Amino acid sequence: MAGQLIRLIEAPQGRPLRIVNIIGGHGIRRRLRALGFHPGDLIERNSDALFGGPILVKNLSTEVSVAVGRGIAQKIMVEVVDGQS
Amino acid sequence: MASPDRPLIVFVGQPNSGKSTLFNAISGYRAQTANFPGTTVTHTHSEVYVGGQIIRIVDLPGTYSLNPADPAEKAALAHLFQEPPDLIINVIDASLLGRSLELTLELLEMEQPLVVALNMIDLAEKKGIKINREKLENLLGIPVIATVANRGWGIKELISCSLDCLKKRDCRPKAPSWTGDVEKHIQSLAESIPEDFHCVHNRRFTAIKLIEAGETFCHEILKEIRPELMQRVEVVRNQLELLRHLPAFEILAAERHHLALKLFESVAKVERGKRIGLEEKIDSILMHPVLGYPGLILIFSLFFFLIFLIGNPLEGILLRPWSWLTAWIQQQSWPSFFLAFMDGLIQGIGGGLAIVLPYFLPLLFLMSFLEDLGYLSRAAFLLDALMHRIGLHGKSVPSFILGFGCNVPAIMSTRILESPRDRFLTSLLIPFIPCSARTAIILAIIAFFLGPWWAMGFYFFQLIIVALVGNLLSLFLKEPSPGLILEIPSLKIPSLKTVFSKVIWQLRSFVQFAWPIIIAGSIGLSFLQLARADIWINWALSPLIKGVLGLPINLGITLIFGFLRKELSLLMMLQALGIEYHSLPEVLTRSQLVVFTAFVSLFIPCLSTFVIIWREISRRAALLSILLNISVATFVAFLLRLII
Repeated sequence: MAGQLIRLIEAPQGRPLRIVNIIGGHGIRRRLRALGFHPGDLIERNSDALFGGPILVKNLSTEVSVAVGRGIAQKIMVEVVDGQS
Repeated sequence: MASPDRPLIVFVGQPNSGKSTLFNAISGYRAQTANFPGTTVTHTHSEVYVGGQIIRIVDLPGTYSLNPADPAEKAALAHLFQEPPDLIINVIDASLLGRSLELTLELLEMEQPLVVALNMIDLAEKKGIKINREKLENLLGIPVIATVANRGWGIKELISCSLDCLKKRDCRPKAPSWTGDVEKHIQSLAESIPEDFHCVHNRRFTAIKLIEAGETFCHEILKEIRPELMQRVEVVRNQLELLRHLPAFEILAAERHHLALKLFESVAKVERGKRIGLEEKIDSILMHPVLGYPGLILIFSLFFFLIFLIGNPLEGILLRPWSWLTAWIQQQSWPSFFLAFMDGLIQGIGGGLAIVLPYFLPLLFLMSFLEDLGYLSRAAFLLDALMHRIGLHGKSVPSFILGFGCNVPAIMSTRILESPRDRFLTSLLIPFIPCSARTAIILAIIAFFLGPWWAMGFYFFQLIIVALVGNLLSLFLKEPSPGLILEIPSLKIPSLKTVFSKVIWQLRSFVQFAWPIIIAGSIGLSFLQLARADIWINWALSPLIKGVLGLPINLGITLIFGFLRKELSLLMMLQALGIEYHSLPEVLTRSQLVVFTAFVSLFIPCLSTFVIIWREISRRAALLSILLNISVATFVAFLLRLII
């Protein structure tokens, strides 16, 4: 599974993920960057709200947590990072 | 322009950096604070007297960057463009140093005198981040002061350093330069910008903003008078994009990101693996996908029960002397004019003190606590899916929760919503949220006479109405809202000092603005009754009051006054019926009490709310809001009359 490009929404919880690309429009990319989520950053999917609610993502280097809707999570491409890095 | 005798200091920082808390510590509590993004949605001005001179200080809305994404951030940027300050204080959350430095780098590009307040340094240390302040100061080339705003640490140093910068010390930074080609392109664009143009105080900064920020204040004006410049901007933007195969704004953002990372790595040491703190433990329950929901229900039930448990006995105690005083006045053989005046005065003062305040005070306390704790954005996370049902998303939740305190700041807070449609819809729904005034009415009538469970049910019922109206409105406003991206700030156990100061600040504004209206309203009603003018108003309203709602005709007039302040309807109800508070259930049936409370709390946004919707959204929205509220209130109250 490591190294394979997947959408954040399909990514497993509690494992380090690397943001590869954000395929959304300018608005989304700007917003995520401003909150400190850049391509190359290590993140972790922490919790999913019930009933199709948002996903809680934490940036592992800055410890900023952000709730993103599932629509946004479709547009964040990540790869699972193996082991300790 | 800033005047030399009254220098202007502006506070800029990312949301939740403690900017407003710091501002308050200096100005004496005038700005609203809360632990969720966008509390300061409009800027707060203050004047302070320090070091023998008057200084104007402005608290700008929190902004992640100087590339505005929502109306609150636009306001921040426009202010910096319009009136270049004498000094900018950049407040940084030290525990988020890496990210915060990106905004600092943007501020350096402005080349305005700048001081960095490295705030929440205690939290950073708790998280295992050690920052070398001197080194940061050297690398940035401007003063860096460590502060802990909510404990008042470092405030003195910050003030004296700011004064130094205003007087003698050179705190003007040099803009950091970027990697080769990017820098070259920006420079060439900067040179083609007119130097003497009034909104340009730094050509390089203006060039950068023209490339990356989209519609800014300066953009509009430059487009009109220098159309050829805008073509040049397009050319440079294309060249940059060809160079790096990325949108231009991302190229610049990436430049800053790398600079910020480099800075962070050279000034901060991070020791991970610290023990999990109390806050994290609580947070893991609050945000738990399953446990979070019972938690949410528990917190809000507790919220209302506590208000009732404190307010109810307090009301009983405070009412006694007042009913005694009222009875005494009515026995006096004063001239009728004076008697009416005194009666209105006592009812107004006593009503505010004995009926409204007992519920208002605990509500303020608990609300401030929840706000500063950071629970509002957590509720947004949990309730996002539910909000989709009414055509909104979780980002509207903090505004709705603020509405329980007062609808006015709630409507202002919708500025953090990016889409105008979401702002419109949220602002139309907020007036259906029972604010503190209406909570006082609900608790004083429903809970006091029918019991707390009835009041809880009533509250729940009002939330269902919000959901139904939202559902209905979103049928007409189909446009999809943009997806949710919301920062969840770390949970902070609020400092009692901040909570207390906030309550006192809000209490003061109640005493200054709301109470006088309540008193004037009571006296006004006394005179209307004396002149028997109330009969005509009641007669005109009787088809609604008696026909539809089945209430005593006398209550008609109380609705007119309810538009001014919601509490007035309650106080005047007693006055209009000519009875004492305790004998209310002898005059009105249970059904009538419920119908009246429902109608009063729904029928119209109060005057201040109406004005704020008009100003913040549009005249159309304000008028629509009145129409919507009257129709919903009439319909709901009529239904209740049939059911109960």
